[in-house]
Amino acid sequence: MSGTKEEDRKGSSEWRESFWNPRTHELLGRTAASWGLILLFYLVFYLFLAGMFVLTMYIMLLTLDDYKPTWQDRLATPGMMIRPKGDQLEISFSVSDTESWDGFIHNLNTFLSPYNDSYQVQTNDNCPPDQYFIQEDSGEVRNNPKRSCQFNRTMLEECSGISDRFYGYSRGQPCILIKLNRVIGMLPGKDGQSPYVTCGAKREDSDKIGPLAYYPPNGTFNLMYYPYYGKRAQVNYTQPLVAVKFLNASLNTDINIECKITSNTLADGSERDKFAGRVSFKLRINDN
Amino acid sequence: MGDKDDRSPKKKKGGTKDMDDLKKEVPITEHKMSIEEVCRKFQTDIVQGLTNAKAAEFLIRDGPNALTPPPTTPEWVKFCRQLFGGFSVLLWIGAILCLLAYAIQAATEDDPAGDNVSNPHTHARTYSHLALLHLINPSLYLGIVLTAVVIITGCFSYFQEAKSSKIMESFKNMVPQVDNSSLTGESEPQSRSPDCTHDNPLETRNVAFFSTNCVEGTARGLVICTGDRTVMGRIATLTSGLETGKTPIAKEIEHFIHIITGVAVFLGITFFILAIVLGYTWLEAVIFLIGIIVANVPEGLLATVTVCLTLTAKRMAKKNCLVKNLEAVETLGSTSTICSDKTGTLTQNRMTVAHMWFDNQIHEADTTEDQSGASFDKSSVTWLSLARVAGLCNRAQFKGGQDPLPILKRDVAGDASESALLKCIELSCGSVRMMRDKNKKVAEIPFNSTNKYQLSVHETEDPNDNRYLLVMKGAPERILDRCTTILIQGKEQPMDEELKEAFQNAYMELGGLGERVLGFCHLLLPEDQYPKGFAFDTEDVNFQTDNLCFVGLMSMIDPPRAAVPDAVGKCRSAGIKVIMVTGDHPITAKAIAKGVGIISEGNETVEDIAARLNIPVSQVNPRDAKACVIHGTDLKDLSQDQMDDILRNHTEIVFARTSPQQKLIIVEGCQRLGAIVAVTGDGVNDSPALKKADIGVAMGISGSDVSKQAADMILLDDNFASIVTGVEEGRLIFDNLKKSIAYTLTSNIPEITPFLFFIIVNIPLPLGTITILCIDLGTDMVPAISLAYETAESDIMKRQPRNPFRDKLVNERLISIAYGQIGMIQALGGFFSYFVILAENGFLPSFLVGIRLNWDDRSVNDLEDSYGQQWTYEQRKIVEFTCHTAFFVSIVVVQWADVIICKTRRNSVFQQGMRNKILIFGLFEETALAAFLSYCPGMDVALRMYPLKPTWWFCAFPYSFLIFVYDEVRKLLIRRNPGGWVERETYY
Repeated sequence: MSGTKEEDRKGSSEWRESFWNPRTHELLGRTAASWGLILLFYLVFYLFLAGMFVLTMYIMLLTLDDYKPTWQDRLATPGMMIRPKGDQLEISFSVSDTESWDGFIHNLNTFLSPYNDSYQVQTNDNCPPDQYFIQEDSGEVRNNPKRSCQFNRTMLEECSGISDRFYGYSRGQPCILIKLNRVIGMLPGKDGQSPYVTCGAKREDSDKIGPLAYYPPNGTFNLMYYPYYGKRAQVNYTQPLVAVKFLNASLNTDINIECKITSNTLADGSERDKFAGRVSFKLRINDN
Repeated sequence: MGDKDDRSPKKKKGGTKDMDDLKKEVPITEHKMSIEEVCRKFQTDIVQGLTNAKAAEFLIRDGPNALTPPPTTPEWVKFCRQLFGGFSVLLWIGAILCLLAYAIQAATEDDPAGDNVSNPHTHARTYSHLALLHLINPSLYLGIVLTAVVIITGCFSYFQEAKSSKIMESFKNMVPQVDNSSLTGESEPQSRSPDCTHDNPLETRNVAFFSTNCVEGTARGLVICTGDRTVMGRIATLTSGLETGKTPIAKEIEHFIHIITGVAVFLGITFFILAIVLGYTWLEAVIFLIGIIVANVPEGLLATVTVCLTLTAKRMAKKNCLVKNLEAVETLGSTSTICSDKTGTLTQNRMTVAHMWFDNQIHEADTTEDQSGASFDKSSVTWLSLARVAGLCNRAQFKGGQDPLPILKRDVAGDASESALLKCIELSCGSVRMMRDKNKKVAEIPFNSTNKYQLSVHETEDPNDNRYLLVMKGAPERILDRCTTILIQGKEQPMDEELKEAFQNAYMELGGLGERVLGFCHLLLPEDQYPKGFAFDTEDVNFQTDNLCFVGLMSMIDPPRAAVPDAVGKCRSAGIKVIMVTGDHPITAKAIAKGVGIISEGNETVEDIAARLNIPVSQVNPRDAKACVIHGTDLKDLSQDQMDDILRNHTEIVFARTSPQQKLIIVEGCQRLGAIVAVTGDGVNDSPALKKADIGVAMGISGSDVSKQAADMILLDDNFASIVTGVEEGRLIFDNLKKSIAYTLTSNIPEITPFLFFIIVNIPLPLGTITILCIDLGTDMVPAISLAYETAESDIMKRQPRNPFRDKLVNERLISIAYGQIGMIQALGGFFSYFVILAENGFLPSFLVGIRLNWDDRSVNDLEDSYGQQWTYEQRKIVEFTCHTAFFVSIVVVQWADVIICKTRRNSVFQQGMRNKILIFGLFEETALAAFLSYCPGMDVALRMYPLKPTWWFCAFPYSFLIFVYDEVRKLLIRRNPGGWVERETYY
């Protein structure tokens, strides 16, 4: 703030004086009182602005619903993801090298621990399958907490990690878990038809993929797990999973795989979003 | 034609074009040598001249007798200057960093597009070209965009400059060449003779100068200099060699660029280091650096300034001020001193009869350009006689084919005084040609410097009267000597002492007015001595030339232009010192200075005081005199300190008999005292001063080519009053540029803060680089330009010129307001919309802090929000880009309020009104543009901008309203407490 002062001074001693002028007791062209006043002004001004900001934010937050976001239009097509998730969605390992797939096993074990049958039975209901588990609020009275349906780890059979602790990785028949992103209120099927997952290789890799096995059977996400009521209302919600087991994938080659959801209500995702209603990943199994 | 000495051939001079040497007086000495000496010096012969061989040799040695054209800047250099000047360097750095980042990404990853985590080359083929646009790497995209921005704004500025210089060229072709360029600045023909009459080569009679024209007569001379070595050549070289300083506005813009660049570099480096410390990779840190630079640089501002100046230049051109150099538009507004030439600028540049003395009484003639002034009693018989003498004893005549023109506009063949007389008589007594036809001329003795009179003998009108009429005019004292009688009220009376004294008084009085006085007398020759058919011998005068009858005096002056006194007065009240610098004589100069108010009524020079108190000049304290008239020869002897003293202590100064070099010294003296100097002039002699001045103003009609070339501005109507318009426009544009810059700079804060918060608290980026460019180069442009159309808040011609050291275009108060106050409110408005959109989509504010790492991770496609929903990368990025769009729209909304508050600096908007139509258009235009960018299909791909829900437009409204109220209150406090704390801290 000493610009004008500096202009008409020359020489380094005068420059130093413009920083601190011992004669007038000016620091950067302002006296202590002047600095105090301007800083006080800015302090008050910014406090006021902060107050105003907090007020508008508070008003905005008041308008929000605690259980459902105002807009969900960007989530029309739910995303899909795989487990285990390596860097860059690449599942690459050597059958013989335990180290190379140990991380995946660990990852899956951790991921599946809430799905243990004992835990599920304890917290969740056993719902009637193939129909939505609807728990509406009655007017202003919240029907909370909402119950959730059991998804037992054993339903993944071969890929549950119970019969085969290594999820097939040790035998070159890896399991990949596929999940559909949670979206509040989403109804993924109608007429009792549950959405299901199909996986396939992309173009030139189609002969490398080999036969696949889906668990639960047909790779369906049962309708009873929907709709989702949000983490506040439905604390113990268990996200349904589909496991895909690669029974005889070609070894020592990259296989590009895309899994898709097929549903009679969900819109196809946009061409640009490669994880809406589908998921792509790379599989490479080495034999040495 | 080279400079010719009446005796000398070519002259060689050393080729050093040292400026100091050029500033000295002309070193010609040949005029003091004898003919033989000069011939010897140049190895020539007075009769035969140079031999052909010698001439060829000299031609090879000295080059052709032509002036070296002034060096011109090549077009590509001008273009490059636009491309690499100002903020461009910063943007180039940004662009290069982007491309560098891209190159490194490309080199380290197989997949520089980085968009497809699984396998790009199998997939990308399916996308349309449009989609590919955003599939390319963001760094590459940004790099290309930045380069494009620099090149486009560079081209734009270059185009604007080129356009204004083209106007100049077309103008050159339009104006007829008027040949009155002379070295002394006065267009009165001067006689030449072989004798050295003065030590100063410019004053001596025996040297003729390059580029001057011989009006009458013949002579033979020797060339002593050619080309650049001539006096004219020296002036031209001096002119083109002068270092001209930057224009005040260029200095201001530079100062402001330094501030902004300083802030940008400081913030950029700080956050680069901070990013590294916070554990970002250096590549990310570089990208942050680019973001901060882009956000800090007001990309559109320099283009806005150029447009504002162009608009003003156009407005001035309509008012007959043609601006050659765009930046000069503002210079007049900063001007604190005007050095004006007299002839042609302050005066009409034509001799006009101003006064007459007959019947023992001074009569005033009408000197106004449109003959609207007072007239005198034309019924007196004496006047008729005087008119007859003046009409007959006069060799001037109107050129043919000009009958439809008003008399004053007609061209006359003849010298200036005779033309003045001719026009005066023609105006008051009707056709002079008819008068001459009726009174046939039988004999004539033309004017010569020894007689100092002109005489002719005519037949009388009355065919029955066979007497001859002798008429004579000349220097009054010589005429009086030849008279024994005087015509009073048509009756001849003997010339007694009383009348002689009356004559003396009248002569003194008219001379004191700076007027050129001529005396007139006549005599009807007695028929007995000079019968019809008498052979008058003009060589050996065989007739009576004394004992004549005195008729009267007529005095002529080059009268001031009608609008000048008013204009000088306006300059005065605007705090501008008007100095007259002329080659004319001091008395004439002083008279005109008094006439136009350069020496105002009641102000006396030292000489005046001395005359009033009847004491010697040396006893007068120079401090008592506010006005002074300084002769060129005195100026030569002044030291720099004395010069400064004069310029500092006298408010009203007239410099007379000044040489071109002295004009330059005067300008430099004023500049040394810190003044911003405007120089007006038309002659070649003015051109060094025109060039040296902060703004040189040349005359469009009468100005010489050289002067127009040296000037920055041209007055198309040659009217000094146009300068006042220029000053007014210049001051207005300076104020308006301040407003425009305050407006543009404000939006920098809402552009920078998103980046800072993104880096520090790891929230998703609230505002992207592309949207920043959309603001700077899109929505902010028209409103910023529209502020150039704002009318003045108060009478800008009533205040002092700005002090270039104190009153900066961009000062700390402007920065404090724009960055510290309004900008902060704007940033809050933007952040509020950002939080609203994220919260309404499920990401509550508290949830956002620290989310950035996962948010920007392409492989995380199940990011959970506050409600437990999961988002893919693309889905949340769309929300993020919607936030960018909303932030952008919010900035537009708060900029509505900003442009309205920037309309005024002190007054309330309610006082100023909303009459600026361009500004209202700008408000609609920016809003429409914002809506277009948000809603036009395809924008999601091209610029990654998404449609907003209608309610999101209103998020920033409270902040917009706050800005308006806050600033109105601030301005109210400024008005209520002039000089109070609020004014000292916030009035920019």
